[in-house]
Amino acid sequence: MPAIALGFAIATSTGQAAQKAPTPKPPAIEDWTAVGKLPDFTGVWELTFGGGGGRGAAGRGAPGGGAARGALPQGPQLTAAAAAKRKELQSQPREDNQTANCLPPGMPGIMGQPYPMEFLLTPGLVTVVIEAYTQVRHIYTDGRALPADPDLKFHGTSVGRWEGDTLVAETVGFSPLTEIAANLPHGDKMRIVERFRLTDPNTMTIETTVTDPDVLTAPYTSTRTLRRHRTWTIAEYICEENNRNFVDQNGKAGVNLNQAEPAKKEQ
Amino acid sequence: MPRHQCAPMLGAVLVSMLAAGAGVSAHHSFAPFDMGAEKTISGTVKQFDWTNPHTWIWVNVPDGHGGVETWAIEGMSPNFLGRRGWTKSSLKAGDKISLVIRPLRDGSKGGMFVRATLADGKVLLPTGDPTEP
Repeated sequence: MPAIALGFAIATSTGQAAQKAPTPKPPAIEDWTAVGKLPDFTGVWELTFGGGGGRGAAGRGAPGGGAARGALPQGPQLTAAAAAKRKELQSQPREDNQTANCLPPGMPGIMGQPYPMEFLLTPGLVTVVIEAYTQVRHIYTDGRALPADPDLKFHGTSVGRWEGDTLVAETVGFSPLTEIAANLPHGDKMRIVERFRLTDPNTMTIETTVTDPDVLTAPYTSTRTLRRHRTWTIAEYICEENNRNFVDQNGKAGVNLNQAEPAKKEQ
Repeated sequence: MPRHQCAPMLGAVLVSMLAAGAGVSAHHSFAPFDMGAEKTISGTVKQFDWTNPHTWIWVNVPDGHGGVETWAIEGMSPNFLGRRGWTKSSLKAGDKISLVIRPLRDGSKGGMFVRATLADGKVLLPTGDPTEP
């Protein structure tokens, strides 16, 4: 067994090494000083849903979370092949997707959840801590290039750069388990560009552009607005803690009331 | 916790969230529930699960024959509700409660939380503006 485990370790590290940038140098004091001069993205932010300040913001028609299981937003125009595929998928009853079984939605849906996210800025890196499904994204701002042949990930692989006060993140390499919207699979060449900027001290907009030549006839852009909540902290979200929802292999959704009620300590 | 009773916001929040597709339940569809129906059940709280991804209220409801049957009502997560005035103590075992739910389509004794009224008249709602000092 140890030999097998070691084999895995070697194979994994070799595969990743082929795509990685050279070892970054440790951050110096100047690098931390530079971080202090960036726009203040710190703290916990939640999408506005029309009731909490900001305007309409969760983005009617925003890809992913916005359209996760509703009608396809009006914006994107589909290629003939994608339209045919979508029609085929819609002809098969599928009441829910795998998020009901606690699989996270991945990009772009993970950015459209009704739970907050926290931005951490450090030298060469923007980290997004996402409460929903306890997820994290890493946006590398150290100048590295996007991988030419990325492993396919739920969140893809992201690099970012600062254009003035706007963080521009580019992401490629998405797992086939993620969708642009319900019943709208993405192609191998999907690329997502996000532009994050502050529009007032406690308001952030994220303009998201999805490019996917196999699926979309033109880039599709939508905008979401987030509100900063200075007093909030990111809470734990363990989806498997007490999940009674499910979707089966045929796409049939249900609720499990048969399992035992979770044990509760005497208070 | 005045936010509980902030009913005027409910419509706007719900409508816009549904428009956004995120729904009141982030992680699953409404398919198992009859979203066009409302049913009221009254009884005694047996247990309140302050858990992810959803809260569950277990309620003992008189069955009309001297016994009780237990209903299970799914609500939003503690994360979402906790930022809108709820706490793990908003409901306690033994509380008398009247619940409006969207019943399960398959007839099981369960449903999705719409609102609840406690013995003291307090109304619990699942949405509203986030509380923010």
